[in-house]
Amino acid sequence: MIKKLSVLSLLLAFVLIFTACSSGSGSGSSSKKAATKKVLRVVNDATYPPFESLDKGKMVGFDVDIMKALSKASGYKYKLVNVGWDPVFAELKSKTADMSISAISITADRAKTYDFSKPYFLSTNKILVAKSSTIKSAADLKGKTIAVQQGTTGQAAVEKIVGKNNPKVKKFKTINLAIMEMLNKGADAVVADNTVIEQYARNNPSKNLKVVEDKDAFEPEFYGIMYPKDSKLKPVFDKAIKKLYSDGTYVKIYKKWFKVAPDLDTLKAQQ
Amino acid sequence: MGVNPLDIIREYLPFFASGTLFTVGFSLAGIVFGTLLGLLVCFGKMINNKALSWPFICYITFFRGTPLYVQILIIHFGVVPAVFGQSNGILAGALALSLNEAAYIAEVFRAGIQSIDEGQTEAARSLGMSKLQAMRYIVLPQAVRRVLPPMGNEFISLIKDSSLIAAIAAPELTYWAQAMGAQYAIVWTPYLTISFIYLILTLTMSFLVNRLERRMATK
Repeated sequence: MIKKLSVLSLLLAFVLIFTACSSGSGSGSSSKKAATKKVLRVVNDATYPPFESLDKGKMVGFDVDIMKALSKASGYKYKLVNVGWDPVFAELKSKTADMSISAISITADRAKTYDFSKPYFLSTNKILVAKSSTIKSAADLKGKTIAVQQGTTGQAAVEKIVGKNNPKVKKFKTINLAIMEMLNKGADAVVADNTVIEQYARNNPSKNLKVVEDKDAFEPEFYGIMYPKDSKLKPVFDKAIKKLYSDGTYVKIYKKWFKVAPDLDTLKAQQ
Repeated sequence: MGVNPLDIIREYLPFFASGTLFTVGFSLAGIVFGTLLGLLVCFGKMINNKALSWPFICYITFFRGTPLYVQILIIHFGVVPAVFGQSNGILAGALALSLNEAAYIAEVFRAGIQSIDEGQTEAARSLGMSKLQAMRYIVLPQAVRRVLPPMGNEFISLIKDSSLIAAIAAPELTYWAQAMGAQYAIVWTPYLTISFIYLILTLTMSFLVNRLERRMATK
């Protein structure tokens, strides 16, 4: 009996520890006037450095800092939750989350089902290959095996060139798995947002990688905060984004993560 | 959104068809190689010599004690590239399933063999059979009949577990359902469709095992 009880209490302790951990992390900053506003559930897929990733269990990245700044500017409290890429869309569709900031490109297809904020980031798909690769443009991808992250615009861009659901396009749950597949020679190239693969190539010089650009094949994309359809939050955060542009916060965060200055004019032209 | 589920299913039908073939292929590979290897591991574990049986005990401990998902990742991104110089999702998937299945099959077989009364072996030995003959003609035939139901269970879970291979982009059923879900940002249509297909597969498997059981039953 005593043995059973001790096992039970041990189990209970575990449960308590876990719940304490999960509720303790990820909550953001706030301002005083926000006391009456509800705490927003903001979801992301924290496997996409430098935008959002886990560093020793803590969520870090460009989007994470932007969200913090947006919260300050708008007065909304929020809780950032890492749910994974597909669930981000599922949660917003079923309205179990209030918004998502997760390096999501604004596309006409997505805009049919969701609302987007004004753009807060400019990005282009590029090709990551081995230094010795003969791939010099998007057209060279034909006939090659290409690894992408499932459901991304990188996948869409590749499928536009080689055909939809082409068996030579390998779709992975995270961008890291896709890159690993290429390093293991299971794929010839990875197509993804430039900032992500450029950072990877820069941080891993020993892997002998290079990034190939093809401005004609891959159009520039804008990231937006994604909401459920007809969200009332959209105007609030659009205003907050504008404020980050004008008061220099945006440039500061951008430089912190990407080491260069942002193309603010192109972004402002989209507002 | 005005997308008709039937239209999307029709669009993905060829992919679900080839995905089903891959799922069946992975399961068959797991069943065949898993059973053969499992038998070997089972006999290895039952060797009356600690030094010789030790590696087999380790094998079972590892493959039963760690998640299949983790094993798949290790084999795809670690083992297969290290051995063959490049990754191969299909090979890694079949390998992971077989190795994992073998550990479970080994334990099922051991339980079956040890459930046969010691007296049977003793009687066979006293009739002049060798140890090997006693195992081959007396113990194993009875053990096989006893392990059929638990083996059937293992095979059914194997079919379901093969869905984890989607993680390494091997084009089986779940992989295509995820692709479909990601493309149209939908949940119900892809996953209910493949649930239905998995059900057909598992029901077929339990039907086959049932028939085998009936055929091998003693009157």
